[in-house]
Amino acid sequence: MRRFDYYQPQSLSEAFNLMERLKGDAVYVAGGTDVIVKMKQGAISPKALISLRGIEELRGMESDGGIKLGSMVLFRELERDPHVGAKYYAMKEAASLLANPQIRNVATIGGNLCNAAPSADSAPPLIVLDAAFLLEGPGGSREIPVEEFFTGPGSTCLEDVEILREIRIPAPENKSGNAFVKLGRLKQDIAVVNAAAMVMMEGGVCKRCRVAVGAVAPTPLRLREIEQMVEGGSIDEELLGAVESKVKELVSPITDVRSTQEYRREVSGILVKRALKEALTRAQM
Amino acid sequence: MRKVINITVNGRSYEKPISSNQTLLDFLRHDLGLTGTKKGCEVGDCGSCIVLLNGRPVNSCLVLAVQAHGKEVVTIEGLATGEGLHPLQEAFIREGAIQCGFCTPGMILSAKHLLDKNPQPSELEIREAISGNLCRCTGYQKIIEAISSVSAQGQVE
Repeated sequence: MRRFDYYQPQSLSEAFNLMERLKGDAVYVAGGTDVIVKMKQGAISPKALISLRGIEELRGMESDGGIKLGSMVLFRELERDPHVGAKYYAMKEAASLLANPQIRNVATIGGNLCNAAPSADSAPPLIVLDAAFLLEGPGGSREIPVEEFFTGPGSTCLEDVEILREIRIPAPENKSGNAFVKLGRLKQDIAVVNAAAMVMMEGGVCKRCRVAVGAVAPTPLRLREIEQMVEGGSIDEELLGAVESKVKELVSPITDVRSTQEYRREVSGILVKRALKEALTRAQM
Repeated sequence: MRKVINITVNGRSYEKPISSNQTLLDFLRHDLGLTGTKKGCEVGDCGSCIVLLNGRPVNSCLVLAVQAHGKEVVTIEGLATGEGLHPLQEAFIREGAIQCGFCTPGMILSAKHLLDKNPQPSELEIREAISGNLCRCTGYQKIIEAISSVSAQGQVE
């Protein structure tokens, strides 16, 4: 690794000051499981790292009906949290399938999101759970829906100095269920395709639906057309078959070391179907 | 950028100057001479560099030495006491869970953390706990049997 300076500010304002001073030369680092690897591989070589580890304000988890996650919450904490496990299944499943326990002891949810890989496991669950992100910079804070956060592979709408401070997930509605599914060579590998779904059912009719897929487009993708197909009727095999075909039309995957474009297109339809089925089962429990 | 860190490794305190681009792995191996922690892939895939950082298993190739300031580290060298090997070390030998031995320190530390938290794990829980540890000799079955034999004895420390 090239030489760099290392800073560990103790507050957000200290971090903003450092970043303003070092703008262009520094990157923020959370757990480091992506940033350090990129530095070792020479993909990035910042002159300075500003670590967010010392900032207490980014650490907590709070339930207020819904749940608020500091961006420095570890995947291992998420995976084990009883509140998350009780209602936010999609989030819990994504957390427990991300890499391996040793990585999850270090990797943070904010880091996974800010790294903005199209395959980020934490993104589809947050999309279907209608999460919002609180971004904070020296000029104040703003709240945006998850979908607006990702702007391309590895890029987000964060301004130079801004930090993802908090992830806010509203409480899932009654009679709703949500789920996350992932296909990798092994479960712990980076996803070939991942998907999440949420359905809210009333008397056998789907009142509200959310569907998202990852690793099949430049950003994690919310599939509004699929949601509209599902809402307003019952979820049966015929509908799921139509959903599967439609998903394949909506995605725009690439070929890389993990998979081919064709395979990703094929399985994205199947994964969305499985996620919907699983969400439906939970909604009916 | 040079920094001085205070760190406890296997119960012993050190105050050492380090450079900020040094990983905890290199610090342990080069500065402290603790070469039991192995350097494999260096990008967090293989688990041969796993150490316990404040009790939790982490890949020391992805942690900067400066980030371990004020923390407690246990490496494979810290497991044996004056009186003999740790039960997990004994079990790995007894069950033939070692082939080339390169993954062994990481495997044992992941297993130690598991058994500290959960003295009677299921086979699935054992497999999950070592899912970040790759054995290129592919001797997983014996490794799982070794860990499971210690949990059955209920003599983990």
